[in-house]
Amino acid sequence: MKSKAPASAPNVSLYFQVHQPNRLVPYDFFRIGEHAFYEDDLLNAEILSKVSEKCYLPANAMFEKLLKKHKGSFRIAMSISGTVIEQMKAHRPDVLKSFQSLVATGHVELLAETYYHSLAYLHSKKEFERQVEKHLDLMEEVFHVRPRVFRNTELIYNNAIAAQAETMGFDGILAEGVHWSLNGKSPNFLYRAPELTRLKTILRNPGLSDDIGFRFSDKNWSEWPLTPEKFATWLAESEGDVVNLFMDYESIGEHQWEDTGIFEFWKSLPQAVIEEDLRWVTPGEVVDLYRASKEYDCHWPTSWADGERDLTAWIGNVLQQEAIGKIHRLESEVLAAKDDDLTDVWAKLQTSDHFYWMSTKEGTDGGVHQYFSPYGSPYDAYIYFMNALADLQIRLKA
Amino acid sequence: MKRLRVLKLGWEFPPLINGGLGIACLGISRALAKLVDLSVIVPKSTPNVQFEGFKLIGLNNLEATELLTSEEKYRYESFARIKQVPIHLDPYSIEETSVEQIRMQPGGEVAFAKTTQVQLDRFKLDDLYGGDLAMKVIEFSKVAAKLAMLQDFDIVHAHDWMTFLAGVEVKKATGKPLVVHVHASQYDRAGVDARGWIYEVEKYGMEEADCVIPVSQYTGEVCAGHYGIDPAKIRPVHNGADPVDVFQTKKKFPEKLVLFLGRLTAQKGPEFFLEIATKVLEKNKHVRFVMAGTGERLRPLIESGAFRGLGGYFHFTGFLNKEKVHELLSMTDVYCMPSVSEPFGLSALEAAQFGIPAVISKQSGCAEVLKGALAADFWDTDLMAKHISDLLNDEQLREKVVRQAAEDIASSTWDAAAANVVEIYHELAS
Repeated sequence: MKSKAPASAPNVSLYFQVHQPNRLVPYDFFRIGEHAFYEDDLLNAEILSKVSEKCYLPANAMFEKLLKKHKGSFRIAMSISGTVIEQMKAHRPDVLKSFQSLVATGHVELLAETYYHSLAYLHSKKEFERQVEKHLDLMEEVFHVRPRVFRNTELIYNNAIAAQAETMGFDGILAEGVHWSLNGKSPNFLYRAPELTRLKTILRNPGLSDDIGFRFSDKNWSEWPLTPEKFATWLAESEGDVVNLFMDYESIGEHQWEDTGIFEFWKSLPQAVIEEDLRWVTPGEVVDLYRASKEYDCHWPTSWADGERDLTAWIGNVLQQEAIGKIHRLESEVLAAKDDDLTDVWAKLQTSDHFYWMSTKEGTDGGVHQYFSPYGSPYDAYIYFMNALADLQIRLKA
Repeated sequence: MKRLRVLKLGWEFPPLINGGLGIACLGISRALAKLVDLSVIVPKSTPNVQFEGFKLIGLNNLEATELLTSEEKYRYESFARIKQVPIHLDPYSIEETSVEQIRMQPGGEVAFAKTTQVQLDRFKLDDLYGGDLAMKVIEFSKVAAKLAMLQDFDIVHAHDWMTFLAGVEVKKATGKPLVVHVHASQYDRAGVDARGWIYEVEKYGMEEADCVIPVSQYTGEVCAGHYGIDPAKIRPVHNGADPVDVFQTKKKFPEKLVLFLGRLTAQKGPEFFLEIATKVLEKNKHVRFVMAGTGERLRPLIESGAFRGLGGYFHFTGFLNKEKVHELLSMTDVYCMPSVSEPFGLSALEAAQFGIPAVISKQSGCAEVLKGALAADFWDTDLMAKHISDLLNDEQLREKVVRQAAEDIASSTWDAAAANVVEIYHELAS
């Protein structure tokens, strides 16, 4: 076949995030000291099932078919949080099986993350390491693989996190391509954090990722409807070594429903990209294929959340700051108790979503925060969380 | 003495209540019914609720035909004094012919439009303070005045500003003496610079009244000082407290519990409670503070609490029903009422019934009743915090305060309040 792409055309790397948090019951004051189970098991099971029917099961089936059909010329990466795997084990083992079967094709690279999808790095290196190790162990146990590339919760990244990932032995780390931090540099190259020698930083291409992840179903978008062929030409026209398309797995079928045509889009995209003479690669391959010749100096933590692409989605207001500060301040007390159940309860309260729901942002981002929240308002989220925390404190002293 | 006949005008009445007003109206009505013949008119009542000894008339349950015989007898009087263009006061009728129904009478009076069923039905809609409150107040006055003309009574007794216009109307229409009862004033709700329509209505009602009954001497001083009412006709009568089924619940946590209970509005001083809690917790982490209730200040208060780092020790419950309030009281160690201006503060008496010592602001009417309660100026959070700490740490002091409160509430009954009110009735009727 005649090559359509220019000689400099980049490769394409695709990564999906799979995560579900443990939502809390409306934990009011009267439950303190009485009700030791904070999570709304029923609601969590219900949402897992809903997302499974709309996204996980059909998307897994679709990708398994595509991966087998392309025999290695189409490959994807996934990061699956510990909390969602626990939920699948408890409520939907069939869904976990479908993920295992997908990984068993040999064409899925799994990434490492914090087991509890937490912001632990910001508060405690020790707790962060514990959670990453726990997630690595889980990947071995469930999928029999050991990830080489790390992605921190919601792509939270800076120089220090990169250094930590290198220390822990990872070869690559994912991050958001944030324009205010890149200062004109392209996200389509691999970078090296200052002072690091081995670890390579792989940056998400925000424009092209969000075209599929968010804008795809927006009928007011000038490019609507987006076809796989059109998108493949955009990829081919991109400069650099690799275009990194990172997004939530739930954007297929859940954030964007089936009737938007999202499944049809994905069914045809692998072939459309191949026909543009572009190669599908995974983050692990990217790290092996390219040199990280340029330095990316990122002091201020970045993330893929909200318009700001910083930490304000989780620690932007006093409610969030107090809640997250107080849960982490219990660390030494919790670990000293040497009670695995208690440690697990405490660690699950670190899941970033708890703080995400406490955001009082308005506008489009505020709407997204509220869309995902199981509570009536960020104030309710704060009150229930703090009451549960008070109960945990009482149990620690008992 | 002959048994007096009293027409009472109220706004909220159990089970349709919003705050303390409805509870106080029911308490005093029940006790008064033993001493006088009583009927009560309110804008809205639950159709099938019966009260022993008195009749409750909700305008929402009234048929327009019941007013027919008084339609032609009534003239628009007092409104013309408040506003110079009385015809503008009746723009609310949605009947197309309503304009023609307002007729100028010789002498500049305006006859009311005939009350239609549509107007009465409006009292069935939304809550008592919602929608166009001014319209409801005016409509209530008109209909209550017409209704009053169908009844025989010796005294008209109006409770709080929403019914003051109606009270004045009834007085003008019938010539009977008017008593206005001040449960709360705009001064309490909005502070020293409160002015506006509500303030004007309150002032007008008190001026036109033959006697003003504030629920405390504190409120009496507000009536005299802030509204310029002649102190000679101000006769404070303290509220009573209905006995409650008191019980104790064992707390499920080891810490002591300090409770704030009330609407989260500036008047109740919730910000001061946060400050007090901060000061107590600085020295003693073995305390939990609970702020029960809801209101416009809830969200800023939650934020302020988080900013102060009180989370985990300071709990917001939101709105609680009566059962939950009692459950909370049954495990409370100290009750705190730092109100900026509290005409009475029935909840402090209720707390006293549960054997809870109270720390209250000097700007609270119930301080006159609960003589043993520890008091401080609402802004003196240092002293408030000290009082709370003392009660938490000093068992002897605690016992002393609780014992004194038990004595005080024993004499704070609605029967005692009603006896005082009836004495005033007799003076006015003679």
